[in-house]
Amino acid sequence: MPKLRILVNTQTPLVQFLRVPRDTRTTAEPSSVDLTQLTEGVDYRFSPGGVTRMVYPLLRKLLADGVLEDAHWVSLNPNAPATAHLPGISLHHVAIDPARMAGYGTTKEAIWATAHGLVSKAKSEGLFWTDDATEYTFYNRTTAMRIRELDHDLDFDLFYIHDFQQLPVGQMLGTLKPKIFRWHIPFDVRSIPVDWRPVMQRYLSAYDRIVVSSDRYRRELERLGHRGDVLRIYPYIDPAEYRTRPAAAEVDAVCEKFGILRAHSVGLIVARMDPTKGQDRALAALALVKNSLPNLRLVFVGNGSFSSSKGGLGLSKSDRWRARLDEEAHRAGISDRVVFTGHVTQAELDALYERSDFSILPSVNEGFGLVVVESWIHRRPALVTDRAGVAELITDGENGLLFDPDSATGLARQIRRIAADDGALRRRLVDGGRRAARTCSLETAARQERELFESLVGG
Amino acid sequence: MSGLGMVTGFNLVLLDVGIIVALTALFAWIVNLILRGVMRASNPQVAVAMRRLGVAVVVAVGAVLAVQELGVSPSILLLVIGLVAVAAIVAIRVPLENAGARFFSGIYSPFKVGDTIRVAGQAGRVIEINAMTTILLSEDDRMIALPNSTFLGQPVENLSPQAWKELVVPVTLTGSTDLAAFESRMLKSLSKLRLRLDPRFPPVFTVKSRSVQGADLVLTVMVRRPEDREPVLAEVNFRVSEELVHVRQSAPKPPDPSEPPSGS
Repeated sequence: MPKLRILVNTQTPLVQFLRVPRDTRTTAEPSSVDLTQLTEGVDYRFSPGGVTRMVYPLLRKLLADGVLEDAHWVSLNPNAPATAHLPGISLHHVAIDPARMAGYGTTKEAIWATAHGLVSKAKSEGLFWTDDATEYTFYNRTTAMRIRELDHDLDFDLFYIHDFQQLPVGQMLGTLKPKIFRWHIPFDVRSIPVDWRPVMQRYLSAYDRIVVSSDRYRRELERLGHRGDVLRIYPYIDPAEYRTRPAAAEVDAVCEKFGILRAHSVGLIVARMDPTKGQDRALAALALVKNSLPNLRLVFVGNGSFSSSKGGLGLSKSDRWRARLDEEAHRAGISDRVVFTGHVTQAELDALYERSDFSILPSVNEGFGLVVVESWIHRRPALVTDRAGVAELITDGENGLLFDPDSATGLARQIRRIAADDGALRRRLVDGGRRAARTCSLETAARQERELFESLVGG
Repeated sequence: MSGLGMVTGFNLVLLDVGIIVALTALFAWIVNLILRGVMRASNPQVAVAMRRLGVAVVVAVGAVLAVQELGVSPSILLLVIGLVAVAAIVAIRVPLENAGARFFSGIYSPFKVGDTIRVAGQAGRVIEINAMTTILLSEDDRMIALPNSTFLGQPVENLSPQAWKELVVPVTLTGSTDLAAFESRMLKSLSKLRLRLDPRFPPVFTVKSRSVQGADLVLTVMVRRPEDREPVLAEVNFRVSEELVHVRQSAPKPPDPSEPPSGS
């Protein structure tokens, strides 16, 4: 297969600019910047979130393996130069009018909440007739037009569109070239309002392949009536990006920073602050075990997403959710048993995993749950909601402990189970987890993605 | 006649020609306005074609009058044009007929690529509609090419389920039109007709072709009841025409070359 030129499209940009670089001669904001000339953490930072964390390593690997000639990445980034460059990857930023951004944000949040089962189907009916939905269409049309312009100049071999925010782009591109759509969030046809289904089918049918994160979602797409090709590729991370044996001094420093004592037993929850992540479920379980496990501390890592960040779309809901969690902890008398760290660096996260005794993924609904794979890589047992895509890789008691997120007693029972373990269960879960983690490695996924590209472009 | 008199006479002729040209432009503008008003609820593409035809007739009459004023007999000009037109019609009558039928059937015939239809004893899925023929794929995998003129003279049955719901309106945008903004405004406008439209199928635009000159779109709306087809189509046409006028009026004016560029 000749080297490919690929166009990737996500809503969330790979990088967020902490300060917009200026041309020193004219003081005008430059339309293009070279990120290698800027400083990460000072001028920009990589966006949080699973999509960008997956796509960037994949592109780098495919570039290094000689599968890709280069990659162009179009995303929504209103507070950024028009283009930015990394070795082999050009970032193209779309901006839309702030007045339209509100309508777009409202619509995509409604889609997201419905897909996660957070709002009733009845409440979501008629969404695509609203004025706000026209801004969702506007954003997608603007993105599609930008991609068409780029394709005119660069002649891409393949279009890879990611996630529900961008679903209409494939139909709007109107190109005969191969188009792949990756669906990242949960997909349960029962949560999809009847009047959405023809709209979704129309958009999905514009793609040559749909990629989903679990076999369950593939079956759900069939139930929706989608007749096209659907491929399951588990989400993935690059184990090499993680330091699984941080120095003891680093671990001590992080523990001191967050008030974690040697006597404490630590359960780690890594998720952005959002109702669907189910942090409240973990608090409810902690309240049930607080007397029997007085040294247990739950450490919540994470803050808002790109959408809720001030440098992003400014749709803050994470602050409200965090305040509610504080209230619930106070009401349950467990405020001194929980730690909210907010955003941490990767080094701090590695240290927290090292210090933890187990991790919990308590999400109400979760497209996949890569943090479980992170936990496995760090050799920590994972307690996992049975509503996450990753749950289909888990056999209870073999490589994880499953629970129903609606049952506080169920999670509390699994916490007691791991706390009471004499070591055998922990070893089994850790060994099983590390074996399962290989299924979700960058190496495995890169091979599957390469095969997918070959099937569409020709080997 | 003295030289001065000849010059004066020639100037007068030029003045007359100028007046004819100016009046022709004025009449063309008035005819364009009248046709736009009259055809507001018609299909936008037909309305544009009829306006162009009206303007062309006015311009042609103006041109004949101007030529006559210059002292040249218009008869020869008319004769040459007429002969060329007759020869062209005779030579390419069938293709012209099919192309004309394609234009009208593309707008008024109730089928599109992908539908299953029956016409003139043939049935199959429409897989192509070109300038000359419409190609069907039969159930036994035969390709059937039907001249487009067939569809103006024969009853056409659309066998696709609920085909009656679908209304397809072609829309042509100029290159300066902001497609995303046009689409957004149109969808807002059409949502007002929601009561008459199938709630499962919000209106959707599909871009058929796009170039620097503009974009050819297709607007698809699905009616809720069969009896709503005609009034909804008229209303949709009206709203598209209104939006196109709005787009044209709000389009940025080309820069005045007499003014220095801003920032200089």
